[in-house]
Amino acid sequence: MRTTKSRHAGAGAAALVARVQRRSRAPLFAWLMVLPAVAVLLAVTVYPLIYSLRESFYRLELTYSPIPHWVGLQNYVDAFTNDPRFWPALGRSLYLVGFGVAIELVLGFALALALNRLGRPRTLVTALLLVPVMIAPVAVAIEGVVVFNESWGPLNYLLSLIGLNGPIWLGNRTVALKTILLADIWQWTPFVAIIVAAGLRTLPGEVYEAAAVDGASRWQTFRTLTLPLLQPLLIVTVLIRAMDIFKTFDTIFVMTGGGPGSATETASFYTYLQGLRFFSFGYAAAISYIQLIVISVAATILVRRIRKGLG
Amino acid sequence: MLGNMKVPERKRAARLVALGAVVLVALGATALGTAGSNHRQGPASAAGGTPGFGDLTLKQMIAARKRIPVPKNLPNFHGQTVTVMGDGGHNMNVFGFWYPEWQKAGIKLKAIEVPFADVYSKEKAEFIAGTNAVDLVVFYPAYIGDFASNGYLLPLDSYIKKSNPHLNDVITAFRKLYLGWAGHTYALPEDGDVHIFIYRKDLLNNPAEQAAFKKKYGHALTVPKTWDEYLRVGQFFTRKAGETLAGKTLSRPFYGCAEYGQRGFSFAWFVDRWASSGQVYFDQNMKPQINSPQAVAALKNMVASVKTCSPPDVLNFGYDQLRDSLLKNQTFMVVQWSDVPKKGADPTQSQVVGKLGYSLLPGTVVNGKLVTRSMMPVGRVLAIPKTSKHADAAYFMAKYISDDVSRFNVSTPLDGLDPYRYSQLKPQYYKEFKLADAKSYLATVKGALEHGYPEIYIPGAAQYEDALDLAVNKAISGQEDPAKALNDAAKAWDDITNKLNKKHQIELWRAALKQYKSLGLIK
Repeated sequence: MRTTKSRHAGAGAAALVARVQRRSRAPLFAWLMVLPAVAVLLAVTVYPLIYSLRESFYRLELTYSPIPHWVGLQNYVDAFTNDPRFWPALGRSLYLVGFGVAIELVLGFALALALNRLGRPRTLVTALLLVPVMIAPVAVAIEGVVVFNESWGPLNYLLSLIGLNGPIWLGNRTVALKTILLADIWQWTPFVAIIVAAGLRTLPGEVYEAAAVDGASRWQTFRTLTLPLLQPLLIVTVLIRAMDIFKTFDTIFVMTGGGPGSATETASFYTYLQGLRFFSFGYAAAISYIQLIVISVAATILVRRIRKGLG
Repeated sequence: MLGNMKVPERKRAARLVALGAVVLVALGATALGTAGSNHRQGPASAAGGTPGFGDLTLKQMIAARKRIPVPKNLPNFHGQTVTVMGDGGHNMNVFGFWYPEWQKAGIKLKAIEVPFADVYSKEKAEFIAGTNAVDLVVFYPAYIGDFASNGYLLPLDSYIKKSNPHLNDVITAFRKLYLGWAGHTYALPEDGDVHIFIYRKDLLNNPAEQAAFKKKYGHALTVPKTWDEYLRVGQFFTRKAGETLAGKTLSRPFYGCAEYGQRGFSFAWFVDRWASSGQVYFDQNMKPQINSPQAVAALKNMVASVKTCSPPDVLNFGYDQLRDSLLKNQTFMVVQWSDVPKKGADPTQSQVVGKLGYSLLPGTVVNGKLVTRSMMPVGRVLAIPKTSKHADAAYFMAKYISDDVSRFNVSTPLDGLDPYRYSQLKPQYYKEFKLADAKSYLATVKGALEHGYPEIYIPGAAQYEDALDLAVNKAISGQEDPAKALNDAAKAWDDITNKLNKKHQIELWRAALKQYKSLGLIK
């Protein structure tokens, strides 16, 4: 009896040990699998983030000397009190984010709705919509220089055929930033459309049928069903686009160089000037962090507004 | 094949085909787009292919040298790869003209092209990172103070002793300003830039235009001597489509003048005007002079030029657009770098061959005397980074380009390099021109150099010039009033000076001033 009991006890203990081993082995295996990604993330994201934060408390002027000097918060103070270029540049970035995200979202949604009504050609149209998304932004910018040329660009030529005088897209300070926006909208609206179209196709048919039985109009269905159901997807799309537009650099660098005047000098372009043209690394790091805070706050507000707006 | 598939499989296959086609189109568009950019790099391939640099094929570059033979005795650097970094486009062609020489010397050439306005940042980043990846750099000599004083460059004194690049032949201003720092030689010249005034002599001498001008202004139409005259002549020649020019009805608008309106170098077109007032960038204590009443007047003149006689998209004009506006028969006159007349005499690049006249820049009357100054922006020199692993091979290439074959380099219309040696100033070398035109061209270049006005050759040049350029660009785009824009630039200059250590900057500036004065560049 005792033998049987002890045999049972022994078997139970062995099973427990095996179970514990299995449990503990599984996380170890999982950790091993994740480790390379974590190492890469630490090396290319976390370390530079911490390093640049440290840098932002130093004055490091590589034009003059490679030796950094501790200045505490002075770089941040300078950005707030003594830099007439930074805040207007940040304003231009936020202008691009605000209008860019809003227009791309509205147009993208409309395109997605149209796309979902298409029958057989949907695959082809979706594939074609992917073309601008897949082109490198620098290539879009180079093509933009040609397309938006005032004298011999195809856009103004086409406008002239319908009796319109095209504007000076890149050489007029009141138009240049809008031209940058236009290039971004052209390239990224299809991205929004494809994401929204994919979301629309996952919506449950029953609720729409119920809404139809209840006599809901198209607008009511859209307003009270489609938008709230797509809310998580829309929030992610808005966040991705907002962060991406905020970082816009290639198109500005190639199409306008920040001009005319400072009309297209955005925060990211100005940070590039400070860091990689003037080699004021400490100051560039400080204004980068200010931008990080601003975009985080702006994104949070944006998401809350969307949530509130969509009920 | 598709016919044998079931419907879902067929759908999937069709999707794959569509997606594949899209990827191909996108890749094609990207390739087409980037092919037009200046961000190209890569090792030179076999003759006849695309070399990966310059704006010609390697075959065209080698063919351009015509009958110039490859020297029999060249040093041997077997198997060494020399990486060159410089501004992309036609000025890199020079490394292709002499490709057979590099091959014979056993050198493999790798060229890294960077955008024109980004030479400083890309090369400085390379130096700071200490990558050892570059053996020969082409840069604008305004940055020699920064590069040499920070210890990025190899002093060339010992190399020069071994293999003489004949620097005594280099035009004094370029020799003194471009090549040295703190008593050492760090670079060899490749391009001697100076601004000259180029106009349509056929239109200026047209009897109908002469008569019309006299009727309107009461005096003869001549090459403008002052900046006020420049505006008057520019406005006179600005015509709408449908109006007549030299007796012919215009099918498109024609403009009297044009400026470099893009961000980056627009400041130089302002300095052309302002410097003729006799002022310099800073006083002895580095107080900026760029917001003086004379400077404001000069900037107002440039603003008036942009508003009243330039093409409407002039704010998007860089070197290429400004050159083409003249050579494609769109504009009467421009201030440009001195390579443009060579291109203007080449029928493959110009619609106005034989119709261009050259002159000193307009000036300002100071104390009853006409003063004219020609900005000397950009220029190019060749230098070897201290970290180069193939310094001997790099020096061989630099010396070969700067000295041995320099006459060809500065006289061909296939690059943008301008004369910088006394021995290059002979009309017979400039075969694209008629002899009289070549004489006039070289006389103008010589005169412009005698009235040359330097860039800021002290560390921080890139920052000072960017701040001034922003002010000029704000004024010409109507974003700010010229006086306010220049006051802002002066304040920015003070901030830069303080940031870079004022005491140190004053010392460097005083030394630079002394040199400018000794060269007669500043009176």
